[in-house]
Amino acid sequence: MSDTTRTSGDWLRQNLPRLVLSPSFAITLFFVYGFILYTAWISMTRSRMLPKLDSFVGFENYGKLWKTLNWQIALDNLAIFGTLYILICGVLGLLLAILLDQKIRAEGFLRTIYLYPMALSFIVTGTAWKWFLNPGLGLEKSMHEWGFHSFSFDWLINPKMAIYTVVIAGVWQTSGFVMAMFLAGLRGIDNEQLKAAQLDGASAFQTYRRIIIPQLRAVFLSAFVVLAHMAIKSYDLVVALTGGGPGNATEVPATFMYSYTFTRNQMGVGAASAMVMLMTIAAIIVPYLYAETREKRHG
Amino acid sequence: MSSLSIRDVHKAYGPTEVLKGIDIDIDSGDFLVLVGPSGCGKSTLLNMIAGLDSITSGEIRIEDKVVNDTHPSERDIAMVFQSYALYPNMNVEKNISFGLEMRRMPRKQRRERVAEVAQMLQIEPLLKRKPSQLSGGQRQRVAMGRALVREPKIFLFDEPLSNLDAKLRVDMRTEIKKLHQRLGSTIVYVTHDQIEAMTLATKIAIMKGGVLQQLGTPAELYNQPANMFVAGFMGSPSMNLIPAELVASDGEPAVRMVRKDESSMLLPVGDNPAYRDWIGKPVILGLRPETITDVGSAEQDSPLLFQGECLIDVTEPTGADVFAIIELNGREVVGRMRASCGAKVGEKLSVVFNMRHAVLFDPQTEGRIG
Ligand SMILES: Nc1ncnc2c1ncn2[C@@H]1O[C@H](COP(=O)(O)OP(=O)(O)OP(=O)(O)O)[C@@H](O)[C@H]1O
Ligand SMILES: [Mg+2]
Repeated sequence: MSDTTRTSGDWLRQNLPRLVLSPSFAITLFFVYGFILYTAWISMTRSRMLPKLDSFVGFENYGKLWKTLNWQIALDNLAIFGTLYILICGVLGLLLAILLDQKIRAEGFLRTIYLYPMALSFIVTGTAWKWFLNPGLGLEKSMHEWGFHSFSFDWLINPKMAIYTVVIAGVWQTSGFVMAMFLAGLRGIDNEQLKAAQLDGASAFQTYRRIIIPQLRAVFLSAFVVLAHMAIKSYDLVVALTGGGPGNATEVPATFMYSYTFTRNQMGVGAASAMVMLMTIAAIIVPYLYAETREKRHG
Repeated sequence: MSSLSIRDVHKAYGPTEVLKGIDIDIDSGDFLVLVGPSGCGKSTLLNMIAGLDSITSGEIRIEDKVVNDTHPSERDIAMVFQSYALYPNMNVEKNISFGLEMRRMPRKQRRERVAEVAQMLQIEPLLKRKPSQLSGGQRQRVAMGRALVREPKIFLFDEPLSNLDAKLRVDMRTEIKKLHQRLGSTIVYVTHDQIEAMTLATKIAIMKGGVLQQLGTPAELYNQPANMFVAGFMGSPSMNLIPAELVASDGEPAVRMVRKDESSMLLPVGDNPAYRDWIGKPVILGLRPETITDVGSAEQDSPLLFQGECLIDVTEPTGADVFAIIELNGREVVGRMRASCGAKVGEKLSVVFNMRHAVLFDPQTEGRIG
């Protein structure tokens, strides 16, 4: 009798982690990977307003997608936004980190200030910047009230420039986070190396360029991966700031996907665009995760 | 010509005083070793010589030139760090030549100098490797190469061997010594290994709590320690410090030693004029283990040899020697005997005390008498 209770107790102890994890595992499996497969299937059907699972058309929707003018605009915008966003965030983040690394007094305070935007949701950031950049409400109006009547800043409503306002708001939100990543990297560098560089006669600039920054390669890679997938997925910022407009001037793949799937009755094409985005992000993240986990197993 | 002089140097981090007035003078070609327990300020002093840390007060001169406000790169010194501090992103060759490059030396000349140093340290096959692909000993060599290639006036070493295993440490110690003899350079070397200090130094500075305890040659420190701290720090096993009373025996000062069987013996300590004032007062007798021996291994030409039967409490064989522990004045006292002397635990042995090298300390101030 006592024997059986002990074995059942043992069984419970051994399998408890699995039992606890299994619901979330099942939910993830179903709602994430299940729906990825579901979307992949829809992208190969003639679904319009509602999913029509029995109308298989192969890769027809993908062909249609690449011929859609709006998708081309979305890709162009993503190229502009993604490049500038990643570059400026990276450079600004690194510069801020280097400045904060100079043993200045209010470092903790400044670090918090730079990090705070990251705590906001993109919706809030987008809305705030919409007000700030709105010629009738924000910056331009204030400047006029202060007497600078010739001042004009209409990027938000200028179809040629609107995408750059998305860059500005995105950079404002994320560069503090990138700074924190770089700062952690800078702090990880052995102090004695810096002393050795000083004795070797390297100036501060040379020390950063020749010794410190080359050691931050892993941080650069992490920052790139984080920023790149945020750029590709960016949806809420654009919706809150410009709504994809004026016209379709700031259409990006994510807004394209939403409008084709849910408002324009082109569910098949929308699903196809979603799959393209997924593949792009996977192409960036999977090699990174692979390299990371392999490094850990070795190290 | 590359002498170093440190005058009344203080260092404070806020309210905590880390160095409390250090005075050290060494000549060109000297090998100064700074020793002391952890946290006594050795690295701090070294960093101040290098210019990596500011001087709160006092003065540091290199070749009669005050360098207090000179930038580290202009003091013409090179330093080997405890962690080696190699630049992980550069290969060995780049690591060694980086300092020359920063000093705008032409590429060709740089190549020659690196090749020369690599040959001297036997690291030629490693030149294209990254530091992460080197063993601890190889990294240590590269770090030395980086210092040597600059041909500085003064080399600074901060515990350069402490990350190596025991065997490699001994080998590298010999190499550093050879290097010093060959180059004749001025070296300041930090360690807390007193054997390293004894073997390498031409001068040793012992520090404790930010205060210099004694500066002198290894022999001076060993034979005439300024105080009980120095006496205990140098030598292994350390000097026996035995509380005793100084008495007059036939007009000569001697210490009274009570053995385990309550019998006492008088050991004359030599006729030092300073001892006269201490007769009848308690003192601390300092005896090195090698001055307490069996009859056969005693220093025969010593004028102050005294023999007595002592009970052996413990023996610790080390191969060549055996350390025998006896009890004097209630203290455990270590003597160093030949392995073949026949010392057995629980038996009496005829022990010779060579009082020529005995030192006496003031129990209050802990300073040496005489
Ligand atoms: N930046 C600092 N601020 C405050 N105190 C410091 C600082 N750097 C060192 N100290 C203190 O100064 C004392 C001496 O430090 P130092 O590093 O010179 O010791 P050390 O003799 O080299 O010891 P070890 O043998 O462990 O290396 C220590 O008590 C340490 O706590
Ligand atoms: Mg130290």
